[in-house]
Amino acid sequence: MTHPIPPVLKLTNISRSFGPIKAVQSVSLELRRGEVIGLTGENGAGKSTLLKILAGIERPDEGQMEINGKVVQFRGPNDALKAGVGVVHQEQSLFTNLTVAENIEHQNLDRRGLSRFGLQDWGRINRDAAAVLDKIGVRLSPKARVGDLSFVDRQMVEIARAISVVSTSSGTPLIILDEPTAVLERAEVEVLEREILKLKKFAAVIFVSHRLDEILRICDRVVVMRHGALTRDTSTTGITKGELFNAMVDETPVQVSRKRAAQARTNTPALEVRGLTSAGRFRDISFAVHPGQIVALVGTNGSGRGALARAIFGAETCDAGTIEVGGTPVSHWSIGRAVAAGLAYVPAERKVEGMIGGYSGTRNIALVHPGQGRAGPFLRPRRMAKVAQDWFDRLDVSPNDISKPLGQFSGGNQQKVVLAKWLNSSNLKVLILDHPLRGLDVGVSQAVNAQIRAACANGTAVLMIPDTIEEALDLADDMLVMRDGVISATHDLNNTHDQHALKDIVAEMV
Amino acid sequence: MTAPTADRQTPDMRLILSRLRLGPVGLIAALAVLILVFSFLNPRFASIENLQNVLFQVSVPLIIVVGTTLVIQMGSIDLAPEGIMGAAGMAWILLSPNSRLDSDIGLWAWPVALGLGLGLGLVTGLIYAKLKVPSFVVTLGTWYVGLGIAILLYGNDLLPSLTSEGLARWPTQVTLGLPNSFWLAAFVLAGGVLLSHYTHLGRGLMAIGNNEGIARSSGMKVDLLKIAAFTIAGVLSALAGILATMQLGSGSPDIGFGQLFTVIPAAVIGGTALSGGEGGVMRSALGVVLLVILNNGLVLAGVDPDYQSGVFGTLLLVAIIAVAWPQRGRLKVAK
Repeated sequence: MTHPIPPVLKLTNISRSFGPIKAVQSVSLELRRGEVIGLTGENGAGKSTLLKILAGIERPDEGQMEINGKVVQFRGPNDALKAGVGVVHQEQSLFTNLTVAENIEHQNLDRRGLSRFGLQDWGRINRDAAAVLDKIGVRLSPKARVGDLSFVDRQMVEIARAISVVSTSSGTPLIILDEPTAVLERAEVEVLEREILKLKKFAAVIFVSHRLDEILRICDRVVVMRHGALTRDTSTTGITKGELFNAMVDETPVQVSRKRAAQARTNTPALEVRGLTSAGRFRDISFAVHPGQIVALVGTNGSGRGALARAIFGAETCDAGTIEVGGTPVSHWSIGRAVAAGLAYVPAERKVEGMIGGYSGTRNIALVHPGQGRAGPFLRPRRMAKVAQDWFDRLDVSPNDISKPLGQFSGGNQQKVVLAKWLNSSNLKVLILDHPLRGLDVGVSQAVNAQIRAACANGTAVLMIPDTIEEALDLADDMLVMRDGVISATHDLNNTHDQHALKDIVAEMV
Repeated sequence: MTAPTADRQTPDMRLILSRLRLGPVGLIAALAVLILVFSFLNPRFASIENLQNVLFQVSVPLIIVVGTTLVIQMGSIDLAPEGIMGAAGMAWILLSPNSRLDSDIGLWAWPVALGLGLGLGLVTGLIYAKLKVPSFVVTLGTWYVGLGIAILLYGNDLLPSLTSEGLARWPTQVTLGLPNSFWLAAFVLAGGVLLSHYTHLGRGLMAIGNNEGIARSSGMKVDLLKIAAFTIAGVLSALAGILATMQLGSGSPDIGFGQLFTVIPAAVIGGTALSGGEGGVMRSALGVVLLVILNNGLVLAGVDPDYQSGVFGTLLLVAIIAVAWPQRGRLKVAK
């Protein structure tokens, strides 16, 4: 069959690496007008990077990209917009202090009619925005302030903006929805589904989701990514969720490098939470972590696991429930108290929250537990340097220079130092790790894992949020699966562990 | 399958509270209370004469606050007004009929003095936007550059005073019941509101203040907008310097002394967050009026001059705490 009209999107062998990690590997994909494809895969499978390439945020290392039959090379997000690619991002990109109409139209203000003599024609802007909202069937006042809107309404504004921008370009627009349903309610998802059906009439749509039932319902085709590559590209008719799960996860059994059940569980858990609830993020969470035990929290982004970890560390407030550390309930919980009680938290946003880039390794390590590095109010620089040098040697940090600003190290070596900052305590009871291996290559990952295990062997309880389920299976004793803010399943990995379980775990997450 | 919903069903109380407190309604109410209290303490406060006096005093900071607000809305800060006022004021008076030099160039004094402010603002904007130096230090620098120019112009001579009766009287003269100074300020204010609400520049500054990253990635000419904001602020500071010089009747490098202490707190009280993206020109203007009335009222209420600074400072702190109250958050970073 030949198509006289070129495909809206044609990718040929697109690849993108970050250091040693191949985020996207030789991806080829075609998309035609009126098609809605579902893009799915585990966290870290490369979906986000692929979307960033389409949105002009990242440039591919190799491969060719054609939009509406024309070869394109995006130098920035603006080029992508002009070519007709509108992306509704996972992290919203609206100006919360401006009105709905302004957010929809601000990229069109250069167009004639919206401003006269340099003055914006508010009537016209509001009318145009209302027309776009109307076209997609959303009832929202163009004059409302975006900051006052609910999440789903903001999403609608994002969609409206994408459409308003790309509809000014020639050719068929490509609308990319990056996990739009992750935070929506059932009824809101239905609104979105109707929305996508309307978009089909004049656009091509890529719908990214973890929820396979939604993909099967909404999309014509489904594309599965794993380890940066497309593992499945098929029509949604006649395919089952089970087949998709198989395409999402590795067939090869996961290597387990850890000796399980080496630690006897003492009666008193190092950390226990009961009925922990934070409105809108997670609710009624109860579990315990014993000394020497590793518990993994798995779930999709937006499942509430990140917020839960932060709440346990005192970085966010809770509405209900109790936290017990070493059998003692805590009150007036805060980060300061958490640290004093022997908790440690390695955040996912390493560069922003985990370290001070302008500080040397020495000073970063001395940040939390100055211990021997301080005498009264005075610092003991030589002592601090010795402690830092010990950690640099032990973790094999490269370059082995404790006085160099940490910001100049590679991500992996930064993570080693961040870990050392917390491990440098004689009183470490609970180690909370949020994506400890994010962006690390295999070698560094092993070094980090070794430290986690060593801490564990010394009787520290570990609560980790892994990047992948494989990572959890590799390290953890117990796995808690979170979905939509609640624990949907728990697994004792010391007893059951096989490919079948892995597939089920994915099914429990989505 | 139900997603967590609580955050969507209960409207964000903090947001609502902040709106109530920061909204112009709250400001106007606070203003009304102040006026009532001061009128009660001293009946002379509510006299036409005193009100005209207040409007006269309010004019200079009103003109400055328009520019300052534009700058703060995009998340930057402008500390230069006092310096630019000095430079422009001195330049203007030396080129107008004055007691020291025979260098009167008539109306041309205006474009020269305003151009001086424009130049200083432009340089500030260029250094800030292109060389990525924090606005705090850049404007600290231009403040002193402006002051330096003013001192050079002053030399070691006598302070120049205005010899033109017409020019010296103009600011206090009353047109349609209001002093000319105030008319000038009102004109600038109207322009500021227009700019801020109806132009790409004004809306762009709000967008930058909300999220510069998004503004850049959606193709706004962020650097250009930043430079424009500082340039406008420079011109307005110069205009304020000229007006203050006319009001005083003589030139002085220190003509802007103390204005920063009115203008920046006024913007904050008006709800212009120093982090950018919030507030507006009109609200900052209300803040200025509030602070000037507070000052004027304290004087008329007979507060001992020795206590005035302390009382004024304390009331300022109370007002700012009230404004910041709804935004307290555990990991909120205030700088």
